[in-house]
Amino acid sequence: MARATASLSKRLLIAAGIFIAVALIVSAVLIAFVLHRFVQSQIDQRLDAQIAFLSSMLQVGKDGQLKLAGTADGPPFDRPMRGWYWKISGPANVLRSGSLGSADFELPDVSNRPAPPPPPGPPPPDESRPLKDRPIPADGIGPGGQMLHYRIATVPVAGVRATIAASAPRDAVLGPLGEAMRTLAISLAVLGVGLIAAMLVQVRLGLRPVERLRRAIADVRAGARERVPDEQPRELRPLTDELNALLGENAANLERARRHVSNLAHGLKTPLATMSVALRKEAPGADDVQSLVLLMDRRIRHHLGRARSAALGSPVRARTVLAPRVADLVLVLAKVNAGKAVDVAHHISPTVAVACEQQDVDEMLGNVLENAFAWCRSKVSVSAGSAGRSVLLMIDDDGPGLSAEQMANAVQAGRRLDESAPGFGFGLSITRELAELYAGALTLRPSELGGLCVEIRLPAA
Amino acid sequence: MKILLVEDDRMLAKELARALREENFAVDIAETGEDGQHLGETESYDAAVLDLGLPKVPGVEVLLRWRKQQRHFPVLILTARDGWSDKVEGFKAGADDYLTKPFRVEELVMRLRALARRAAGHAASRICCGALTFEAPTGQFELDGLPLKLTALEWRVLECLIMRKETVVERGLLSDKVYEGDVGTDSNSIEVIVARLRRKIGKTMIETERGRGYKLTAAQ
Repeated sequence: MARATASLSKRLLIAAGIFIAVALIVSAVLIAFVLHRFVQSQIDQRLDAQIAFLSSMLQVGKDGQLKLAGTADGPPFDRPMRGWYWKISGPANVLRSGSLGSADFELPDVSNRPAPPPPPGPPPPDESRPLKDRPIPADGIGPGGQMLHYRIATVPVAGVRATIAASAPRDAVLGPLGEAMRTLAISLAVLGVGLIAAMLVQVRLGLRPVERLRRAIADVRAGARERVPDEQPRELRPLTDELNALLGENAANLERARRHVSNLAHGLKTPLATMSVALRKEAPGADDVQSLVLLMDRRIRHHLGRARSAALGSPVRARTVLAPRVADLVLVLAKVNAGKAVDVAHHISPTVAVACEQQDVDEMLGNVLENAFAWCRSKVSVSAGSAGRSVLLMIDDDGPGLSAEQMANAVQAGRRLDESAPGFGFGLSITRELAELYAGALTLRPSELGGLCVEIRLPAA
Repeated sequence: MKILLVEDDRMLAKELARALREENFAVDIAETGEDGQHLGETESYDAAVLDLGLPKVPGVEVLLRWRKQQRHFPVLILTARDGWSDKVEGFKAGADDYLTKPFRVEELVMRLRALARRAAGHAASRICCGALTFEAPTGQFELDGLPLKLTALEWRVLECLIMRKETVVERGLLSDKVYEGDVGTDSNSIEVIVARLRRKIGKTMIETERGRGYKLTAAQ
């Protein structure tokens, strides 16, 4: 699981880092190998030329002794004890380069080794007498413990077999190679760092749409947008399509569940009403059953409200202008309370709007206004004003008002659920719950009119 | 007092009609929006109880059609939907009151009496005519401060007369308000009921206007 939760960019970077390192190491090894072969073949050519030169000057005296027709200690074979030596062994005598001084070296036995293939490239031009066999390479330790590289050839000279060996110091190969490899290693390291930096930039750039997508999804969750935007890189498109399909399905499921709850609730209410109506006043226990009916109704209303609010926070925030809602509700309540002369003052600017769904605004205002109409003596006042990013709505009445303790009880959720007396409380707690769903608040305080003032704070739109 | 009850739930309609009849109301039941609309447009009612959640023609539509046909009897909406938005919609269509299911029958009866009384132009809940008083909220008649025992038919006639006291109530209207839709009316029986009422409240209070109808009057 840890692998699945690890950072995507870390994974990309680690993978790229490993690939880059392996590629650089492999190329360094390959280059070293090629360089080694190149330097080696240069040295070999030089030694082979020396062998050819020696063989061309080789003569056999009357005594069967080998001798050279001239001097063969040209550079670098003239430098003493530097590793550049040659040696000719015949059946009767041995000739040595001057650079050996009094020292000597043993030739490794190469008689059963096959001749190497010719080196790549054209044959050296100074090869005056072509050798019958190509010289055989060998490595060994020379005088003074020096590592030497030999080329050894066996040539027939006037019926006598002579073995000609030429040597070069191993350092002549390794020295230039080491130097070249140091420079190469630095270049490759710089290249590696550059590649990883480029990879970093690429990963950053490449993953930017993923970050954008994350922000889009966060917006969906916060309710700022309904779906993830479709304009995405081709690789992300299937993901956003699936996401949007999922979001759509979710919304549809939620709506369906809400409708079912609503249908269930309303489907229960008619039989409940029938039960209540069918119950004769004088029947024994009628009052108990009536309070049970009322309790059931309140439970249904409570959970219906819950189901509705659970579906709230729907992506598209609504905008509801307050003035017409207040006017409509006042109209309804004035009609319902036709027997009571209520003087309603509502002056709300037509520009004041809240970021709530109309249905919820109706619910909050309706509940509070209904209470105000029920409890007022003759006056109800509704006013609203913007306060920063919220709207403050005040509903006042000139009724008996509430004591501090009653106020505290009135807004407690479900406080009245189990009580049968109608009045303040149930409607107020519903209103408070709704207001809080919109990140608003409901507060109660004594009104200037003498009764209760209900203050509802809602987000402005 | 005659009520039109438009309710698609047969059980509730039956029980509600029984409960309202116990309160002496005459009740006509319509189980569909179409029937309700038709009855409301052709018969004379003191008030209607209208369920909003009717199949096919919804309650609000029925109400809109009544009002369009200048039928102005008071309408009480009965609904399972208790949202304020639903209420506002109902009232904008011309409703006068609402009750949400479930409700107490006493509450419905009280509201229907108040609606009918106000529609008849009586602001006060007590209506007096000479020695006779009618307590609208309870539906109780008193004569000289003593409760008057009346049969359902007698109550309907007297209620109709006292709501229109000092004016002539036509025999046809009286018969409309007293008998339910499916009962064959017999204008002779109105005379019988009036005769019985005269025995209970005194001969002079109900005057017969020949060829037209009856008038409840305090004038001796």
